[in-house]
Amino acid sequence: MVQKLYVRILKYALIVILALISFFPVYWTITMAFKPFAEWTSATGKIFWAPNHLTLKNFKDVFPSTTGAFFSPIPESALPPLIHSFVIVVVATIIAMVVGVLAAYGVSRYKKGGQLPFFLLQLRMFPPIAVIIPIMIMWAFLRMIDTWYGMVIIYATVTLPFSTWLMKTFYDDIPRELSEAAVVDGYTDFEAFKKVVLPLAKGGIASTALFVFILNWSDFLIAYIITDKDWATIPVHINKLQTALVGQLYGPKAALALIALIPPVVFGILIQKYLVRGLTFGAIKK
Amino acid sequence: MAHIRLENLVKRFGKQTAVDSLSLEIKDKEFIALLGPSGCGKTTIMNMISGLLQPDSGKIYFDGIEVNDVPPGKRGVGFMFQNYAVFTHMTVYENISFGLEVQKIDRADIDRHVREVTKLLQIKHLLSMKASKLSINDMQKVALARSMITQPRIFLLDEPLSNLDAALRSIMRAELKRIQQELGQTTVYVTHDQVEAMSLANRIAVMNYAVLQQYDTPHNVYNFPKNLFVANFLGSPTINFFDGYYRNGEFRLKGFNKGRFILSRKNKAALESELTHEKIMLGIRPEHLKLKDTKTDMGEGLNAKVISYEPLGSKVIVYLHPDAEPNIIIKSSMEKGYKPRVGDLKYLEFTENHLYIFNKETTNLVKRFTL
Repeated sequence: MVQKLYVRILKYALIVILALISFFPVYWTITMAFKPFAEWTSATGKIFWAPNHLTLKNFKDVFPSTTGAFFSPIPESALPPLIHSFVIVVVATIIAMVVGVLAAYGVSRYKKGGQLPFFLLQLRMFPPIAVIIPIMIMWAFLRMIDTWYGMVIIYATVTLPFSTWLMKTFYDDIPRELSEAAVVDGYTDFEAFKKVVLPLAKGGIASTALFVFILNWSDFLIAYIITDKDWATIPVHINKLQTALVGQLYGPKAALALIALIPPVVFGILIQKYLVRGLTFGAIKK
Repeated sequence: MAHIRLENLVKRFGKQTAVDSLSLEIKDKEFIALLGPSGCGKTTIMNMISGLLQPDSGKIYFDGIEVNDVPPGKRGVGFMFQNYAVFTHMTVYENISFGLEVQKIDRADIDRHVREVTKLLQIKHLLSMKASKLSINDMQKVALARSMITQPRIFLLDEPLSNLDAALRSIMRAELKRIQQELGQTTVYVTHDQVEAMSLANRIAVMNYAVLQQYDTPHNVYNFPKNLFVANFLGSPTINFFDGYYRNGEFRLKGFNKGRFILSRKNKAALESELTHEKIMLGIRPEHLKLKDTKTDMGEGLNAKVISYEPLGSKVIVYLHPDAEPNIIIKSSMEKGYKPRVGDLKYLEFTENHLYIFNKETTNLVKRFTL
């Protein structure tokens, strides 16, 4: 069917507009990171669509050489929060993935677990803000406020529904006969899972892990409430970049946001070849 | 090698009965076919023999030893799945050696077995290929090789040829028969294709709605079907059925203005000793139903009008309907070169020896006269 010309023009115009809208914040963050103070501040009343004087000062500023200096606009280095984020998110993602990958297989293949998938889904039915205050109180009693394990437990719990449900859909697509063939050959159920199902679910595991990683990496709310000085994560640290004198330090914020963008992007590129779903599902002919 | 006995096997899925009290005996080295339409319980039977599924009740014996509680891997069965279940993340070699890897056998021995089996199936050149790159035909052979390599006592093949195109199917059919004769395993072969079942199997178990209909040699299943279902399922084109009743030496058939078929005196006595019910279904295969231009002396008023015909090279299938009922279709298989005119009135001719007489209520075969 050939579409009428104006319909096609309209369609592409809409796509372009949507693309512009969604890419503009990214563009603004990237350019702002390289703008000097005079260009990113709103004090001058001018808008700079692109940096006139490219500078790396913002990047230097977020990693001050002497920390704790009284007059420095940014008293703390962004390096510890980067490390915190990394430790917390990686450990939480590993836990959510290990549990999710195993639980989803049981649910998908053996129909075990009863209402477990639904209970897991319920975890996502209310906004985290609804429970974060009670959790904070509980964590305070358990002395888990501002600890890496306190954060890991919450992150792993919050993302477990995603890892389980996503993995379940991947397993559902792998024909049962593949693991049955291994069982008939004398492998145990677990060996069959390890040798046959897991390698075939690689793509699913990779994309699920990326998804969980991004969810945890970008969380602000939970980290803001549960962490303080010792284990502040990157989003929390970005929020801290403000002074009484100039208000929000947009330039350094943008620079740090750009740095924080690197791990998910690198991760994404590394597993890119697994991201195309259905790549490995050629085992059966329907 | 192995003798299989199934005793009153029952399997239900929820409210649906997949297999209903099935008893079956498969002799050592026998090749049997489970034949039936889709969803009649064939694959469920295979899964129970292999141990992948536990029967709700009933027993399975291999060589007289109950194996109900033996796990699939210890039963010594090779299973080839309908969708082949080839591991696409492995090479062909890894796929084929998969079943031996678990047995802690010497590398060199594994290698020797793989070479042997791939030589038998003529897929040696594919060994280093990624299984995901295989054509469907090669995939089928790899699946076969993988289930063969452990030298199972029992070979379970679930619709192995259904994914192949028609030309290759007949080649692989011959190939399978050769391999089975060479290896001599007890083989259970699931199919919904009567030609495969007829040409490969020593015995055919015809299934319908979870129930075993008949278990016999291909010759007997075709020539002495136990009931209407079996008669209808085997044979291409399908058998003709005429609804009617029997009274005092003659059949009156519906659909004809005056359809009568008169039995000979000898057969009349033979039939009446077994017939308790006068409502019958008369079955006659198309190859035994001939068309004549002039009145025959075998019956009265068995006239039919030609609707269409298909010249198939070696024979001509003629479709007709009886003179009083345009909704009934009669099929007749005539010699090649036969050329009727559409709309022609023909006289049907068949002999008593080719008649199947079924009880209309129980659908069971009452009588087939033999010479």
